[in-house]
Amino acid sequence: MSPLGPSSGRRPDGAAFVIAAILAAAGTVLIAEGARIPARGGYAGVGPGDIPVLVGWGLVALALWHVVAGLRGGRGPGRVRQDAVAILWITGGLVLQNLLLWQAGFAIASGIVFAFTAAAFGRRNFAVSLPAGILLALLVYGIFDRLLKLNLPAGPLETLVFGG
Amino acid sequence: MNTFDFLLQGLAVALDPAILLYALIGVTIGTAVGVLPGIGPALTVALLLPVTYGLDPAGSLVMFAGIYYGGMYGGSTTSILLNTPGESASIVTAIEGNRMARAGRGGAALATAAIGSFVAGLLATLALAFLAPHIVKLALVFGPREYFALMVLAFVTVSAAFGDSAMKGLTSLFVGLALALIGIDGLTGQARLSYGVPQLLDGIEVTTLAVAMFAIGEALFVAANRVGADEKVHAIRGSVAMTAQDWARSWKPWLRGTAIGFPIGAMPAGGADIASFLSYGTERKLTRHPEEFGNGAIEGVAGPEAANNAAAAGTLVPLLTLGLPTTATAAIMLAGFQQFGLQPGPLLFATAPKLVWGLIASLLIANIMLLVLNLPLIRLWVKLLTIPRPWLYGGILLFATLGTIGVNPSRAELAMLMIFGVMGYLMRLHGYPIAPVVVGLILGPMAEQQLRRALAIAQGDWTTLVSTPLSAGLIGLAVLALAVPMLLRMRGRGAVLAQVAKDDD
Amino acid sequence: MMRHAIFGAALAALAAAPAWAADYTIVAPAAPGGGWDATARTMQEVLQAEGISGSVQVQNVPGAGGTIGLAQFVAGAAGDPTQLIVGGYVMVGAILTNASPVTLADVTPIARLTGEAVGIAVKADSPLQTIGDLVEAMRADPGAVSWAGGSAGGVDHITVGLLAKAAGIDPTKINYIAFSGGGEALAAILGGQVTAGISGVGEFLPQVQAGTMRMLAVSTDVRWPGTDAPTLMESGYDVNVQNWRMVAAAPGLTPEQQAAVAADIERMAGSAGWKAALATRGWADTYLAGEAFAAQLAREIEATTAILKDVGLVQ
Repeated sequence: MSPLGPSSGRRPDGAAFVIAAILAAAGTVLIAEGARIPARGGYAGVGPGDIPVLVGWGLVALALWHVVAGLRGGRGPGRVRQDAVAILWITGGLVLQNLLLWQAGFAIASGIVFAFTAAAFGRRNFAVSLPAGILLALLVYGIFDRLLKLNLPAGPLETLVFGG
Repeated sequence: MNTFDFLLQGLAVALDPAILLYALIGVTIGTAVGVLPGIGPALTVALLLPVTYGLDPAGSLVMFAGIYYGGMYGGSTTSILLNTPGESASIVTAIEGNRMARAGRGGAALATAAIGSFVAGLLATLALAFLAPHIVKLALVFGPREYFALMVLAFVTVSAAFGDSAMKGLTSLFVGLALALIGIDGLTGQARLSYGVPQLLDGIEVTTLAVAMFAIGEALFVAANRVGADEKVHAIRGSVAMTAQDWARSWKPWLRGTAIGFPIGAMPAGGADIASFLSYGTERKLTRHPEEFGNGAIEGVAGPEAANNAAAAGTLVPLLTLGLPTTATAAIMLAGFQQFGLQPGPLLFATAPKLVWGLIASLLIANIMLLVLNLPLIRLWVKLLTIPRPWLYGGILLFATLGTIGVNPSRAELAMLMIFGVMGYLMRLHGYPIAPVVVGLILGPMAEQQLRRALAIAQGDWTTLVSTPLSAGLIGLAVLALAVPMLLRMRGRGAVLAQVAKDDD
Repeated sequence: MMRHAIFGAALAALAAAPAWAADYTIVAPAAPGGGWDATARTMQEVLQAEGISGSVQVQNVPGAGGTIGLAQFVAGAAGDPTQLIVGGYVMVGAILTNASPVTLADVTPIARLTGEAVGIAVKADSPLQTIGDLVEAMRADPGAVSWAGGSAGGVDHITVGLLAKAAGIDPTKINYIAFSGGGEALAAILGGQVTAGISGVGEFLPQVQAGTMRMLAVSTDVRWPGTDAPTLMESGYDVNVQNWRMVAAAPGLTPEQQAAVAADIERMAGSAGWKAALATRGWADTYLAGEAFAAQLAREIEATTAILKDVGLVQ
């Protein structure tokens, strides 16, 4: 992936420190987990706890590298402004799908994902996008569940259209 | 009768019009299902296998071969056009292929993938017919220490090749390695990093991570940058066909990809994904256009696509000669064979030559069908990009969740899909490459397990890792691949390498 | 849109015909393609073809050696006589090693349907000729005898542990190397990477018939068809293991409901269609139901718990 924006001078890069903190935290978790696991290397000498410790230290080293790179700066926040509403639409659609899937069935839940994603891209006319998404999902349900026997959660709509 | 007679006889059976029709149907539905984002070849074959049950053995074998190759090939289409690989072997295709598509060269990328898959499929199927007994001997020489050496080589070639910042590439790789540790340790049954959550015991599913990071992450990124972004996706610029230069730059990668893919596919612990990683690394090292890598180099599509198809044929070597199903797809194929009362194993070539040669002939026919079907379809596929984005991405997300809902239906798995999607978006936002995460998730556990197996067999003696010429040679190659660019850089040579390194040091 | 609607209606017409209320839903606690899935789908075919049940659905709930499916089944199906779950010996070990909160005591076991012996084999050119040779080599230097087999804590691992214990060798000293999937273990044996291999007999038989491997012993109390390898018991080691698959019903059924399910399964297991399906798939008929199965299950859970503690997989 190429740089997202032009370099904006030599000032410390805040994002690098946040990322460094996350990496260091993840590394610490791995090292702690590795230490918790009883040493059962057996004949190999290398047991289930050793690799987590190794990867954990790798993450800590990368965190330090980020700190150094962040102090040097250079790759500042020159990126394009992000549309947070679009992110919320898509993640909201996925959360709703997860919540509704086993009650409302595959078609309605996945229709919501479709319509909410379309909304993230600017189509907020749910009177069109929701039925379109549900219809597409019903078609997918028909092909995959009924013809190909992939078990998809059925709700009232599936039962109505395809029978129990 | 010798091998050649058997093959001709098989082809004669397969050239029957009805059989050709079955091949066409198989290839069509295989491609159609395989092309959906989030649905890879293993699931495609598993879903469509029952379709073949009603036919006679010859018909079902050929339809099955069509589904297998069709599903294998279908994954590359969405990788290239939409940056959403359906399975791990198409991940590297997405790197260069999607860049090409963004520059309006999606047609050429799809064509080199299709023709490369055809060339590789053809050569590898012939190799399967004539060399299977020899290749399998080679594959059996690979024990845990050799596999470990191969993993080290794969790590080096792949990680050296990703992204334009060593720090960010390594960070992505280590995130993948860390995620790979979640779940039950394969050698001792010890649960790691699962904190009593049963859904975590089986670890992070590769397809879940790949689909989330690529498909959902990409959708989030595109949606969030819609405002003010003037980057237009060009459905097509110039011809959909390959130019003379494309051909000149593609044929060697096809052959190299085949040469890498077939033997690695034949290894019991190899696989199409590793073959595609190694092919990508090789092409990047050998190219005359290093500046194009990362920006849409055709070699980076031609090589890996040939490699993963050759590996798909290679998978059949241990299956047919030893009865070893070495991939999920092969395990499902084994079930398919058993439907005809056929038990793949060391005696199969001797006890059921007609069916074996029928299958090999079917694979050849299916391979040709695939090309016949797909070259004209390229024009149609690139039209995908002209679908208005709200509908296109709505559809992508619907299919991306379908794979998870169908195979691993749980709230936890769907939640993971969303979390990794957001993670993929954040990584894109800060310029971290996505592919190394998935590479780390795939290679990490393999490398760890093979290392510990090798050490257990040698009772803790580390010199075992370089105790055979093969393992020592592979490790040596990995060291060279790592050291040579460093030396070149230290001596100030190679403008490209300097450019690669400029971000951090 | 219109075309979609018409297609949808056509699909609906196509699908609606055979679909009435499902008589049984069989949970396969594994991904499509594996042994439990195959068992569930074979049951589905036979139950429908023999007219025992009008409609049978298979539901895959994969994960953690079947314990995720088991937990979901116990929570969701309690008291529902139309719900069945397929399981097997692997589950017994997985419940223990994963410290699963739900166990086989929480379901209503109906019958053991099929099973397979575990085979112990070496590469054809190995100097070890009998199971006795192998055990003596292990007694001399347990670390030098490496075993290739399936997942840690699985039936293969348990069998090696039981064999060591029966031979008076410390089970924690065995050098067991777990491979994922039978294919990889088999390749390690054929490639001469390990001393011996242990896996389902069916996996070794084609190799034995081709002369590339030698079967030293089988784990069941009787010899297994297709090989003349002795049982471990007749070789002097008190080990009897069968890797079986079973079907169980939901918890909380009335005795009448339980009897009705058991009768349906008995009809299925006795049908010509089931025998034919077993023959096609190469599965042995080890049908065992009722009290006899319940007692056998209890004995195996006890023995497995003991051996997993001995090899250090369960605290």
